[in-house]
Amino acid sequence: MNPEQPQPKRLYRSNDRMIAGVCSGLARYFNIDPIIVRVAAVAGLLAGGVTLVAYVAALILVPVEPGEGEPEPPRPTRSTGAIVAIVVALLIAWPIVIGGGFLIAGLVFPFAFLAAAGIAAWWAVSGEGPGREPGEVAKRALLGLVVLTGCGILFLAGGWAAGTGGGEVAAGLVIGAGVLLVIGAFTRSVRWIALPATALALGVGLVSAADLDLEGGVGEREYNPSSASDLRDRYKLGMGQLVVDLRDTSLPAGDTPLKVKVGMGQALVIVPRDVCVAATADVGAGHVDVLGHEGDGVNVDFEESRRARVGGKRLVLDADLGFGEVRVRHTRDFDRDFHSDIDQPDGNRACAGGDA
Amino acid sequence: MHRPDIPSLASGLALIALGTVLLFDRLEILEMGFGAFGPILFAALGVMLLTLGLSRRA
Repeated sequence: MNPEQPQPKRLYRSNDRMIAGVCSGLARYFNIDPIIVRVAAVAGLLAGGVTLVAYVAALILVPVEPGEGEPEPPRPTRSTGAIVAIVVALLIAWPIVIGGGFLIAGLVFPFAFLAAAGIAAWWAVSGEGPGREPGEVAKRALLGLVVLTGCGILFLAGGWAAGTGGGEVAAGLVIGAGVLLVIGAFTRSVRWIALPATALALGVGLVSAADLDLEGGVGEREYNPSSASDLRDRYKLGMGQLVVDLRDTSLPAGDTPLKVKVGMGQALVIVPRDVCVAATADVGAGHVDVLGHEGDGVNVDFEESRRARVGGKRLVLDADLGFGEVRVRHTRDFDRDFHSDIDQPDGNRACAGGDA
Repeated sequence: MHRPDIPSLASGLALIALGTVLLFDRLEILEMGFGAFGPILFAALGVMLLTLGLSRRA
């Protein structure tokens, strides 16, 4: 080989990096300012995320620039080049062959997002960056995903324990992990415990803060009491949708109390049009809609104080919800969709003063 | 004497504090909403990350 012969220009991930040196490497390859490539990459990310896929692909496929004095990495062999070409061809041909560009959004983006999340998680846990070799990158992404999955399971376990009465045990485990870390600080470091213990604490804390009670079952419950005497003291559901349909309930004049408690999900109370509704709702995080009067956010303390007309009927609702929605309606939403010609707009019109 | 690992010590103390607050809430000794839990959680995470970052720099 003639040493005077100019070397072909090669694309590298630059060592002058913000994240993994992809933008900087591209800028060097095209001999432009890196800021232009970075701005374009961010713009592409905001405009649908296509650059995220390209970035992750470059992270895996493009080698890192050799440092000063380091030998240039071996050029790809024919088989490596063929594999890269096949992968690129498949990425391009895939939506055309299978049909619809949306497949890219539906399949490739989540994969790229998972890979990026795995790399970021492993980076945060171990301090090891994305890596230089494709195998190293894939391995760290996988390890990061394992860590994320484990933490996710612990988060859910903590939440479930807190919601079903075992929160004290979970909180005790968090304290125990803290004690182990303190002991380990003087003997043998067990820093890795901090992450799973924090995930567990996060699950317990969120459920506790929302005062979420998952006892009472999971799923859909619907109640259609025929008279006031059939009403229960309290309707309770752990997770799911609770419907109390009072449209066929014969309610007496005066006040009828109704208590509902849902851990996570929706509490839907359907009332006849001739019944005035007064409501209080304590919601950890979510939305309250009582016949069009709404409140939302975290720690929602909602109150709708209404009086019935003289001799009228009033439902006094007391709702307690962890996460989700409390809704009071005269009809189900799908009833309204199918019978819009006979339905009236919602409103608390049976109260004194109308729908104020 | 063996020098303690500061990030482990700080993380451990932060987790003990966090766990104690959670335990008190579960035992209804105190009432914790999102307004209290959010800052407590972020303070604990901040202590962990800060000590870890400083130790790596050192």
